[in-house]
Amino acid sequence: MMKTFLITVFTISTCTSTLIGCKKGSNFSQKNTVKNELRIGISQEFENLNPLIKTMAATSYIYSMIGRSLVSMGADGKWYPQLAKFIPNLQDGSAKIISHSGKKKIIARWEIIANAKWGDGTPITCDDFALALKVAESPTVSVGEKETYTQVEKIETDPQNPKKCTFTYAKAKWDFYTLGQFYPLPKHLEEAVFAKYGAEKEGYEKNSNYTTNPTLKGLYNGPYFISEVKLGDHVSLTPNPHFYGTPAKIAKIIIKLIPNTGTMEANLRSGTIDMISTLGLSLAEALILDRKVQAEDLPYIVTFTPSVTYEHIDLNLEHPILSDINVRKALLKGLDREGLVKALFEGKQEAALHGISPKDPWYTNDPNYISIHYYSKREAGKLLDAAGWKMSPEGYRFKDGKKLSLVFMTTAGNKTRELVQAFLQNQYKNLGIEIVPKNEPARVLFGETIRKRQFGAMAMFAWVSSPENNPRSTLHSASIPTEKNGWSGQNFMSWSNKENDALLDRLDIEMDAKKRLDLAHKITKLYTEEIPVLPLYYRSDLSVVPKSLKNYQPTGHQYYETNAVENWEL
Amino acid sequence: MKKTSVTTILGAFIIGLFVFLSLAAPGIKALTGLDPDAQNVFSRYQKPWSRGTVSQDNRENTIEKLIQRDPLLAQSVENSLKEKSLVKTDLSGEALFELALMPVPEAISILEKIDSPEATEIKKIFHSFELFHLFGTDELGRDVFIRLIFGARVSMAVGILVALMAALIGLLIGSVAGFYGGLLDTILMRTTDALLSLPLLPVMIVVAAIDLQKLPLLPTLVNAQNESILKMILILCLFSWMTVARLVRGNILSLREQDFILAARALGASNFSIITRHLLPNVIGSMLVAISLGVGESILFEAALSFLGLGIQPPTPSWGNMLFNAQELIYQSPLLAILPGLMILLTVMSFNYLGDGLQDALDPKARGR
Amino acid sequence: MLTYLLRRLLQGAILIVVLSYLCFYLMTLMPGDPVDMMISSNPKITAEDVERLRKLYGLDQPAYLRYSHWVKDILSGDLGYSRTYRVPVQELLAPRLLNTFILSITALCFSVLIAVPAGVFSALRPGSRFDHFINFISFAGISIPSFWLGIVCIILFAVWIPLFPAGGTLTIQDESTSFGFEVLDRLKYLVLPVLSLSLQQIGRFARYTRSAMQESLRHDYIRTATAKGLSQNRVVWVHGFRNALIPLITVLALSMSSIFSGAIITETVFAYQGVGKLTYDSINSNDYNVAMISFIISVTMVLMMNFLADILYGVADPRIRYV
Repeated sequence: MMKTFLITVFTISTCTSTLIGCKKGSNFSQKNTVKNELRIGISQEFENLNPLIKTMAATSYIYSMIGRSLVSMGADGKWYPQLAKFIPNLQDGSAKIISHSGKKKIIARWEIIANAKWGDGTPITCDDFALALKVAESPTVSVGEKETYTQVEKIETDPQNPKKCTFTYAKAKWDFYTLGQFYPLPKHLEEAVFAKYGAEKEGYEKNSNYTTNPTLKGLYNGPYFISEVKLGDHVSLTPNPHFYGTPAKIAKIIIKLIPNTGTMEANLRSGTIDMISTLGLSLAEALILDRKVQAEDLPYIVTFTPSVTYEHIDLNLEHPILSDINVRKALLKGLDREGLVKALFEGKQEAALHGISPKDPWYTNDPNYISIHYYSKREAGKLLDAAGWKMSPEGYRFKDGKKLSLVFMTTAGNKTRELVQAFLQNQYKNLGIEIVPKNEPARVLFGETIRKRQFGAMAMFAWVSSPENNPRSTLHSASIPTEKNGWSGQNFMSWSNKENDALLDRLDIEMDAKKRLDLAHKITKLYTEEIPVLPLYYRSDLSVVPKSLKNYQPTGHQYYETNAVENWEL
Repeated sequence: MKKTSVTTILGAFIIGLFVFLSLAAPGIKALTGLDPDAQNVFSRYQKPWSRGTVSQDNRENTIEKLIQRDPLLAQSVENSLKEKSLVKTDLSGEALFELALMPVPEAISILEKIDSPEATEIKKIFHSFELFHLFGTDELGRDVFIRLIFGARVSMAVGILVALMAALIGLLIGSVAGFYGGLLDTILMRTTDALLSLPLLPVMIVVAAIDLQKLPLLPTLVNAQNESILKMILILCLFSWMTVARLVRGNILSLREQDFILAARALGASNFSIITRHLLPNVIGSMLVAISLGVGESILFEAALSFLGLGIQPPTPSWGNMLFNAQELIYQSPLLAILPGLMILLTVMSFNYLGDGLQDALDPKARGR
Repeated sequence: MLTYLLRRLLQGAILIVVLSYLCFYLMTLMPGDPVDMMISSNPKITAEDVERLRKLYGLDQPAYLRYSHWVKDILSGDLGYSRTYRVPVQELLAPRLLNTFILSITALCFSVLIAVPAGVFSALRPGSRFDHFINFISFAGISIPSFWLGIVCIILFAVWIPLFPAGGTLTIQDESTSFGFEVLDRLKYLVLPVLSLSLQQIGRFARYTRSAMQESLRHDYIRTATAKGLSQNRVVWVHGFRNALIPLITVLALSMSSIFSGAIITETVFAYQGVGKLTYDSINSNDYNVAMISFIISVTMVLMMNFLADILYGVADPRIRYV
């Protein structure tokens, strides 16, 4: 405290005098300690690093370097064990379906690897997971997705070996083992806090060690732990000697928040950062930077990794014009997705056929399973003619004196989306469809307009999902947000199809992988036939890394590449 | 003294020019064929002083419309094009489209080879496809020059409207408080002081961020198109009448006891006529100064709020939101950020010099305050 | 005197309460509450999650009830919890207040050091070329949008000629850096923000100094002092300037409000970790605990400065009585 005070006084007094004297001043020598140190720039805010209550993407990115879960998903889209010795499955009996008072449930045996320890050397046991479950269940703690934890009903620790335990799952779902977001809490540090403050509203999270003493080593079990954290600015990490896996090779990692992406490049060039994370640049910026890197032969690599993030246009099926399937088909046929991807993204992002990305095992582009609508302006025109929308001399289509005019909303200020919107507006104009752009700031659009289904005809935005994800919350008719259900659910199109609902319900409980794939294909077929949504493209994850960085492999899904940070090498 | 009047006149001249430009904006749009909203994804980030063309889709559409409007004209040109085998296609109705797909200058040079009144007609259309980007284009391929002019329209309109309305509100409150005095005066002036002591920007940010639709009365007044502009004017008015109110009140307090007012009162003049006939003419001068300084201030505030993304919403251009847009692009094209700011600086400075000059003219003693 | 002070304090307190409620109410009118923001991109959050979180955060209650809870918490010393950063507000605020304090005080000192001599000298030679030049600079300073100046500074001094960092507060380094290095480092990050924040103040102060100085030089005692044969320097600085100082101090105190407003913009442009940026970010992300506290801090600060200006005015000029 005294130090900061002295600095303040000293700064003020010297500042004013030196500013006049050396306004042009020499460039203070850049302290360039490239001694096995990596400074990563991100442009999104991060929050308190308590794994239970974190919700932001940037926090997950950072947390994967300092904390691990039982299992995670690799860059290949497959699950692998982290803290667990093996992944339980139904085939070898390590997991089984039981019937408990008429309800089907699953029990699974988990075992934590022997050398798994917290940063202070305390072994990780099943009790740490049990504590996490207990805290997450408490109504006073604001866990975002409670299901992540509460899908596990109870955890019974083996009395002989605290590293072994049995999880009982509330429902018999095939994906019981995908506990990638189920993080343990260090019992030896956090149990006392929860016991003391757990009854107060938000008492635990306010007083947790993650909040009051975030540099405590025992809080983390990843290859690194936190040596310094300044919210809204940066996090510094140092290797954790008690890490269970291969020891981290980079001696220091700093993650620095640079909110203005416009200055990201300046920071990279001046050496303030060495690398821009996948949560850094927009596509346009990455393309420009990529060109510069090639032209000037800069020591960086710009990576473009296809991701599962799905950009699409939700159609309001209750709109009088869009309730006609032929109009929807015409909209899709008249949409040159390949052309769009080429013209705007230089082919660095992939055109989408439907909501499931090519990274996903459930993906298919086989016309035997799904309907594929290739771009054809002429066919689109014919469909519209058939639907009764006739071209008028002024270049727009009319039916019963009404113009074919659709309100198109998206997030204001998002350059890429505004660009795509402009492109589509132009394309549809040639088809005789008037597009009226109406853009709102993200907060208003998501918080109000889309949520209450007041987006007119079309709304463009993205879903971030993970491979083999049940799209129930966006496609099931029970997920249509209404006044009655408090505007919850994300089926903003209000798509209601009985067959589809039944398929979605079955998908969760189907234990056979082959049959699941079949169900997923059927859902996709309905999706591509009924066209409640216009697919656009799958986003790419972009990052800029130094050429010297080895073993860096962006994943393109929500289990970030930082899950393998211990392999990175400079 | 002399130099001050020179700067005042210069300021007035620049203001006049901007007012003229913003009034003439639709005319300039028609004359140059530039459209502030016309996007062209294939000519983004053009350099200043460069030539461009209307996007290919638009060219095709124009030809399509022409054929529908005047099939005979199109047919005759097509025939002569085919006669001289200047086009490759031999499908009927496709010749003009082939021209539209070519680079525009090439198409024009082909058309020049045909000598007929119809061809001249078509050539005119092709000439209208050529654009000149004085200041280049932005990230969506829109012409920066025409956007600046339409931005001037919005920014100037907001500035002038706010200053006028604020002056009117201030005049009303100030004169009522000054003339009647007593409790009314205390209440009004306390409110004025309270508002004056606020840090304006944080308050404005909160007010600007709220959703007008949630307020009870307003939805009837606004629609989506003008919502952000109306909101802007409303917010700025709400927070800029105080100086005028204080000024007017002070003036009226000192005038109230002067002989000619007392005489008017003795002659039986009503309060209303005393205020409008005798008091107001005496405060008009200082009001003018306040208005001209107020315009500058309002333009600055509008720009600041738009810059924070809370002001006038795109695609309507205003200098503030053009700057907001350009902020991320300072690497790509710094000019996009520099130009709107320069416009703001010039305008606000002109208004300040004008206000200063007016003050000098009204009260030579107070020079330099 | 004492009753006057007490009355002013009371008035200030009432004003703060009224304004804080108004601000609280306005924030409830903003579209999208913190829970909405959470679900906006995450299709996995269920309807139950939404309802549970709303209830936990108290978002299901009417504005006045939430306000009364909030006031109760504040009075019991709990500043609340940031929804964005998920830490108690005080932890977030303390370092940022310090940063903003450094930025605004530096800007204030810098502008006074430039503006006051400039104003005095131009008052000594009214109508001269120097006077016109200062006049022009002042006008430019008042008219320049500070955020634009910030952007231009970044383009010039961080992009084209990379002299200074484009944004930030401090370089991250080991804990073992020397004290002097840390100061220099801070300075490096301060130059551009201070520059863009000061110009407006320079313009304003220079104009005030000039007119105050002119007024004061018109007095008879200046003529007397000159006639007595005192040196020009002594007359100007000791006799003239001292008198001009009174209105100047008032203006300085009052300008805190505009410096704070300016800091919001400057900090946003330069990604400087201060209260101004925090205020803006928290309003934008509907983090109302943070927004309310920083709003109240800023209003209180401005009111205190106004109060101080009033007192200073009275102290400097005995003719003013408080009633």
